[in-house]
Amino acid sequence: MRLRYIIGLMLFSLMVIASCTKVDEEVYDKYPADDFYGSPEGADVALAGVYAKIAGNWGGVGYAGADNGWYDLNVMSTDEQVIPHRNTGDWQLDFARLFLHEWLPTDLIINNTWNWLYSSIFSANLAVEQLESSDANIEKIAEAKVLRAFFYYLLMDDFGNVPFYTENNVTVDQLPQISREQLYDFVVEELKKNIPHLPTTKGGAFYGRFNRWAGYALLAKVYLNSEVYIGVPQYEQTIATIEKLEEGGFSLHPGGASDTNPLGFSYYELFGDVLPEDETILAMYATANIVSRNILTVRSLSGPHAQALFGYSGWNGTIVPSAFYAMYQDQDVRKAQFKLGPQPGGVEYTLEVNNLDNPGADPFAGVRNMKFYPVDPMDGGGASNDFPIFRYADFILMKAESLVRLGREGEAKSLVDAIRQRAGLQPLTTNPTLEDVYKERGLELNWEGHRRQDMIRFGTFLDSNKFRGASQEFRKLYPIPTSALDANPNLVQNPGY
Amino acid sequence: MKNKLCLVSAKIGRTELPLGFKLMAACLFVGVVLFSAPGYAGNDMKLLKINSFENLQIQALVTGTVFDENGIPLPGASVVEEGTTNGVVTDFDGNFAISVENPNSILVVNYLGYKQQKIPANQEKIVVQLEPDAAALDEVVVVGYGTTVKRDVTGAVSSVSEDDLNQGAITNPLQQLVGKAAGVSINQTGSEPGSAPNVRIRGITSLIGGNDPLVVVDGIQGNMDLLNQIPPSEIASVDILKDASATAIYGSRGAPGVIIITTKKNKAGKSIVEFSSIGSLDFIPEQLDMLDANQWWQQAQKFEVPPSTNHGANTDWFNILTRTGATQNHTVAFGGGGNSFNYRASVSAILQQGVVINSNNRKFIGRITATQKALDDRLALTMNLNSGINNTKSSVQSIGRAAFTSNLISNAYLMRPTDPVFDVDGSYYTDPNVFQYINPYAVAEEVVNEGQNNNLFGSLNAEFELLSSLTATWFGSWRKTDNMTGFFLPVGSTVASAIDQDGFANINNNRQDEKLMNMSLAYKKEFENHFFDALALYEWQNQTYQGNYLQARGFFNDIATYNALQLGDLSRVQPGDISSYKNDRTLISFLGRVNYTFMDRYLLTLSYRRDGSSVFGENHKWGDFPAVAMGWRIDEEKFMEGDDFFDQLKLRAGYGVTGNQQGLYPQNSLSLVGAAGVTYFGGSQITNFNITQNANSDLRWETKKQANVGVDFTMLDYRLSGSIDAFTAKTDNLLFNYTVPQPPFPYGSIIANVGSIQNRGLELALSYELIRNDDLVFTLAGNGSLVDNEVLNLSGSINGVPLNTNYVPWGSNSFLIKGKPIGTFSILQHTGKDEANAETVLDRNGDGIIDQGIRSPDRVQAGSALPTYNFSINPTLQYKDFDFSMVWRGSGGNKIYNNLRQNLSLMENLGKSNVLESAIPLGLFTTQYGSDLWLEDGDFIRLENVTVGYLMQPDYKYIESVRISLTGRNLLLFTDYSGLDPELNLSGGNGFGGDMGIYPRTRSLALGLNVKFN
Repeated sequence: MRLRYIIGLMLFSLMVIASCTKVDEEVYDKYPADDFYGSPEGADVALAGVYAKIAGNWGGVGYAGADNGWYDLNVMSTDEQVIPHRNTGDWQLDFARLFLHEWLPTDLIINNTWNWLYSSIFSANLAVEQLESSDANIEKIAEAKVLRAFFYYLLMDDFGNVPFYTENNVTVDQLPQISREQLYDFVVEELKKNIPHLPTTKGGAFYGRFNRWAGYALLAKVYLNSEVYIGVPQYEQTIATIEKLEEGGFSLHPGGASDTNPLGFSYYELFGDVLPEDETILAMYATANIVSRNILTVRSLSGPHAQALFGYSGWNGTIVPSAFYAMYQDQDVRKAQFKLGPQPGGVEYTLEVNNLDNPGADPFAGVRNMKFYPVDPMDGGGASNDFPIFRYADFILMKAESLVRLGREGEAKSLVDAIRQRAGLQPLTTNPTLEDVYKERGLELNWEGHRRQDMIRFGTFLDSNKFRGASQEFRKLYPIPTSALDANPNLVQNPGY
Repeated sequence: MKNKLCLVSAKIGRTELPLGFKLMAACLFVGVVLFSAPGYAGNDMKLLKINSFENLQIQALVTGTVFDENGIPLPGASVVEEGTTNGVVTDFDGNFAISVENPNSILVVNYLGYKQQKIPANQEKIVVQLEPDAAALDEVVVVGYGTTVKRDVTGAVSSVSEDDLNQGAITNPLQQLVGKAAGVSINQTGSEPGSAPNVRIRGITSLIGGNDPLVVVDGIQGNMDLLNQIPPSEIASVDILKDASATAIYGSRGAPGVIIITTKKNKAGKSIVEFSSIGSLDFIPEQLDMLDANQWWQQAQKFEVPPSTNHGANTDWFNILTRTGATQNHTVAFGGGGNSFNYRASVSAILQQGVVINSNNRKFIGRITATQKALDDRLALTMNLNSGINNTKSSVQSIGRAAFTSNLISNAYLMRPTDPVFDVDGSYYTDPNVFQYINPYAVAEEVVNEGQNNNLFGSLNAEFELLSSLTATWFGSWRKTDNMTGFFLPVGSTVASAIDQDGFANINNNRQDEKLMNMSLAYKKEFENHFFDALALYEWQNQTYQGNYLQARGFFNDIATYNALQLGDLSRVQPGDISSYKNDRTLISFLGRVNYTFMDRYLLTLSYRRDGSSVFGENHKWGDFPAVAMGWRIDEEKFMEGDDFFDQLKLRAGYGVTGNQQGLYPQNSLSLVGAAGVTYFGGSQITNFNITQNANSDLRWETKKQANVGVDFTMLDYRLSGSIDAFTAKTDNLLFNYTVPQPPFPYGSIIANVGSIQNRGLELALSYELIRNDDLVFTLAGNGSLVDNEVLNLSGSINGVPLNTNYVPWGSNSFLIKGKPIGTFSILQHTGKDEANAETVLDRNGDGIIDQGIRSPDRVQAGSALPTYNFSINPTLQYKDFDFSMVWRGSGGNKIYNNLRQNLSLMENLGKSNVLESAIPLGLFTTQYGSDLWLEDGDFIRLENVTVGYLMQPDYKYIESVRISLTGRNLLLFTDYSGLDPELNLSGGNGFGGDMGIYPRTRSLALGLNVKFN
């Protein structure tokens, strides 16, 4: 009898229990990935996500504007800028190591750059996949592919032989490390195939995006450095590509005296808030604390100097080596970007830096730079200047360089002169030499992230300077970071490291 | 007349239960009509009473009193007429009255913890004095979803009763347990008010999966925070389940061990009022030797630091940021009731004033527990309610200049002694020529960093005897925690980010809602030589987490701090300033356990649990956790008869499978898209999205398989007792955030179950009564444990992607290396310095390159961050009314990477910061390496606790007893470690074993008063 009740009770309990065995997961505060990217809106978002990679922010991600990433890696190893260790104790030594060509595979900046590029390629792959699967129009698919080619171009330029993949669902063993030559072929083919699909719209919805003209600009860069990458010069192709780019109708922005510009010349509008449409081909957008930032001026000025100018303390970081500064003539409007001597805030900058690492530079040693004169919103963590990835002046000089290299110096003269005259200089008295073009590129494009590529192409990258002797050939490529080798033992390190 | 009935004996009534009663029991069991029970109960009771009065009339009434060994009346002792079911329980004054069938019968008197006594009933006024049972092994042990007595325990369980807990100004129950249980290592890193120690049971068995034991307080399950909500003075006993055969009953939450806390209940029939109060003064025993102003300037000149950096003051930064702290712990407790109802209530206040200025913690806890019996004592309802308020004012946890981030007090070391605290105009001094200069005194004074934690938990336990051998139980608990932190960093704090943003403030709200319900049937039956104790249980748990975060910046002044975010400049809202979340997890379990005893000497425990959890991946929603354990009471065997050496001897062996799912968070197995700031696209700023994690439908719990053998013994006439345990445990399906190659993965990491680690250990606990006589008891107790940890394997593959995860970085120069303990240092060897005073290290393979890769041949293995041994020595002495106890504790075999010393030793920083005195002989300008120069031994011995107490029993009618005590904590520390304290983060998590600077560990002196009122 009793047993019957108990069994009945147990059965009843089991029924109750059986109905509460659901352990499915519910998501309340995020979107499931498949549903999200499967929608057309999601596909657009995937494309926007790739541009977010270019913008970056802190932590060594992004193309330019913040610190410890791609920009620092590609400018601090050249003759145009460096952050010395100060004898007051400020600044770690890895920036000086870049300038001294003593960088290590463990260096933070190298690691950051690599990780940023591969996470960008993942985003680009994702965007391509999502756009293709949602039947997006071909313009958008082409845009995503050109973006991906852009990141591979940067990898080819800095690291040479790198892992390559275009679909995210692959396993490591399907991931070959391809040679610089193979990567070159991919980038060129990908660009040639997709550039014609890109829209021709300039500005507006396409400000800061790859339109057809930015596509040609990228391809021209690849051709220009072809000799470095694969040992085969492509100067005629460079010229032809720049001529296609010129169909977009670009011109040099006026450079003369201006009452409204804080540095006194309209030239500096090229580095201000919204970059002028006449000359800018591709801009990186920045609004401090919202989308990326531009630290380049606050990082350079000393604390009290920036405090006096903007109300925020400067970082007393980047200086311009005196040899580079010496290239500028006094009447050059481009000299207005430099600060030397007494400044507001009771600071006096001196020309020479005597020591980069031990014991370090004196507090106010070194010429400072304000090319990116801060625009609002700004604070001590940076300003909102946009950054020119490609602008027409660069391509005028590239065309001139290609012409000179092809022995057509006569055709190059007017091009170099146009740049000089905009800066308030006299035209050249003779046809330009390669040296003239190289020097003009330095004067015009300093602090814009092109210097390392130029110095390698012109063969000056390894030359000795005041702080070091000539460096070795292998320094033309950066090492694959130790962390990447640790994670993927199949990778082969670049020679010399 | 066999069916003799008595008011307190309910046994016979059981055979006559009406049908309705059983149906009601069924309802009760499923928790549907719980509160309709009294209607039935009333009828039944009346029926029983009438029956008993009829029978009483022909009985002889015998009265008497039961006392304990000190002559204090014992309420609640049972008095039974031998050979019958006729029995009573003594009342509040120890008195009983029993009507016996036969005037010549024998009365059997029993009381838990005392030896049984038999007394002839044919006496006028019986006086029984019970003797304590020296076989203290029979104390009750809580084993999870039930209790047993110590002699029946088959697993490795450490039990600590109230009297053995550490004393002093305790703020967290774990501090009471330090040094008290073998294999249970409790570490306190610094004495920040409100901070809790860290506990590890039998070493580290998980990497990212979590090593915190499950905490169970009176049946309510929770994480370590639950401990913080228990007033230390209200703990009756702590049972720590260590091996898998004991913890498997907790299934996928049992692997790191289980701490079971039983709080004080009122004894039936006794009213109490108690007051205890303890206050301590807390001091900083030691500080680092930094350069004074003169020394600093001498060195500065030597290293060509410009004179512009010398601001001419002479400031002791550490001193101005610290003070003498104080800790108080007050409790009022009271309780009362009779046999069918009793309750206990208490209110506690725990107040801490930290040794760093502007840091304090105030905790208030009220609790009440009540038990009501009904239905002829067959139904027992127990309610528990605990509510607490925990308010913290913290110093800033993580702050610093670009190159070094630590807590506020460590930033004081960085300050140049020549910097003044205040500028000439009275404002806080800052140096505009130092990048991100911070004045730590300004930070301490100006920053508002407050936490308010409100928590409430309650439970109801309904236990109903269906049959004499079968009990049904329903248990439900609900725990709610609301946590608010408010933070305000004004411009005046001198912190760069505050200046940039014109001050910013944020409010962070987090809410946890944890519900648990279980239903069980327990069966106990003894026939002849067989004893069964079986349990079947269904359990449902759900935890919901919700919260939001708001931040504003740009404040005109500091008046409103974080209390009015709308006063900020709303045009400066940034991505991340507003966020909220919600997620939940559900765990459903079925479990069963059988304890079987044969001939009172062969013990067998079998348990099985099946867990289903929502956080597991789609392919592994359910896991099985079986365990088996055996015990053999050798002393009960015939061949041990006449053996004088052992009083008790028991051999135990167990094996079990347990799980760990702490490291899995809701939604971990899914690929999800979340907001990722703002980007610019299509001509405007838009919200950016990205994938927040990789999907892994194979994600599951970690599996720990553990085997344990142990022996419990008592010898030398119960004077020496102890246990020895040896175990080996292997965790498989180890959860890890595996580093994967950047292509094809977006973040370079994926959470997956690959790999295994092993712990092998030996534990010994001994207690020896050196002296025992009427006036003096001197006991020497101690315990020790050895643990050998080894990473067996970390490699595997996920979705076909091979993972090579050997040499995973796990802290400064420490790694997870196959075949080595967790956190093994593989490090470059310091050789000296070059002509530029840069550190040089040994190029071990002589290739001219110092390879800093993690598998570099230039590195050498140099020990692990994990201690290999722990011990504690615990002498106690009782002389008349004085008591004295000490806890000495030590651990070691580990290495510590002293990051702080490295940061405070490099002369390259001299222009902006101070350095250690020891940096002068070192003379290093810079280093590119983390070498073994900064690696030190972590061994230490600490005098953890010394307590002297005096108990008075004044002849005053309102006071039962008064105890006065004096406690010193952390009085002595012996170590070679050069930092502040070698007791650092030993959690086993990434980055453990390094010293980045800690809040000072205090040395304290406490005076305590404990009064029991009549």
